[in-house]
Amino acid sequence: MSDNEPENEEIRTDGTGIVAPDNETPTWSERKARKTGLSRLTYEYFERARREDQDLRTESDYVERDVLAFPTWPHETVRNLSIASFFVGMILFLSATMPPHIGPPANPSSTPAIILPDWYLYWSFGLLKLNPLNPELAILGGQKIMADRTYGVLANGVVVGFIAIVPFLNKGSARRPVEQPFWAAVGVAGVVFAMTISLLAVKNLMPMNVDLLFDLTFLLPIVFGTVTYAVLKTMSEGYMYNLNRRYYRLRPPK
Amino acid sequence: MADEFIKGLGILTGSGLAWMVLASWYRTSSFESTKQLIEPLSSGATEGIFNIIGVTLMDAFLWFALLGALTFWVLIPAGHQIMSALQERRNAQ
Repeated sequence: MSDNEPENEEIRTDGTGIVAPDNETPTWSERKARKTGLSRLTYEYFERARREDQDLRTESDYVERDVLAFPTWPHETVRNLSIASFFVGMILFLSATMPPHIGPPANPSSTPAIILPDWYLYWSFGLLKLNPLNPELAILGGQKIMADRTYGVLANGVVVGFIAIVPFLNKGSARRPVEQPFWAAVGVAGVVFAMTISLLAVKNLMPMNVDLLFDLTFLLPIVFGTVTYAVLKTMSEGYMYNLNRRYYRLRPPK
Repeated sequence: MADEFIKGLGILTGSGLAWMVLASWYRTSSFESTKQLIEPLSSGATEGIFNIIGVTLMDAFLWFALLGALTFWVLIPAGHQIMSALQERRNAQ
């Protein structure tokens, strides 16, 4: 803003004008007194960003690009800094307040009784413990066709293969789970199965019956998937009704 | 509705974090235990005024987290539903 603009130009408040100059920028107490809330603040913020973007586009040396986004500085950087600050603060808080725990040093010359991978690989480790599912074939005289460990490794291929096939079966056109209840149920069952098979991997540490745990590993995904399907199928009628009502209010049918 | 959700979530996570920190002092013999945070009080937890305050706060935070989430996620929305249902019934008559 410069001082040589005409004095009689009205200040527009509909968002089309120039953003308030520095000497009109409200103080913190004035901002607080407005009490218009976060929605207003968000609106002003994005309106200002949009205005800056528009000013940039009208500059003579501006090169049009195919990028439609907010600039990295300050928008994205401020957002990312606040997120990073939160996690750094959480680490500092926990390390300052939790009691220190320094276990005995590991003995590199002996293998512990319980060995486990990192937690995010528990699902794969759990698939190695499917021994009761490995069928004993009568045609082979009660022999198993393959060793339990081979069976567990092949089970990994089945799970990974299913995950690889899903994008070809469903193109992901639904924007909300309620629009495709069946596939939402498949997703929920998969997430629950990832958790239960991970718990099966640490069955030595689980304070419950191992046989029950094994059964629940496969039953819980089915139960949760069925409940999800039932709930979403019930919701979908009302959802589509609301969608149609809003759509046709906007554009009445001919 | 979104306001009530974030109030309940804020109470649950904030109060739950404070409970977790205190319970890691008073109800955890080892971080490798399968009953950490829910063990009986460790010995010496009731000796001295600061330990008594800590144990009291631990229980207070736990109940605040549970009851706060219950209030904002279940009781208040249910109350709104009941009020609007009563209003509709009154209007229908």
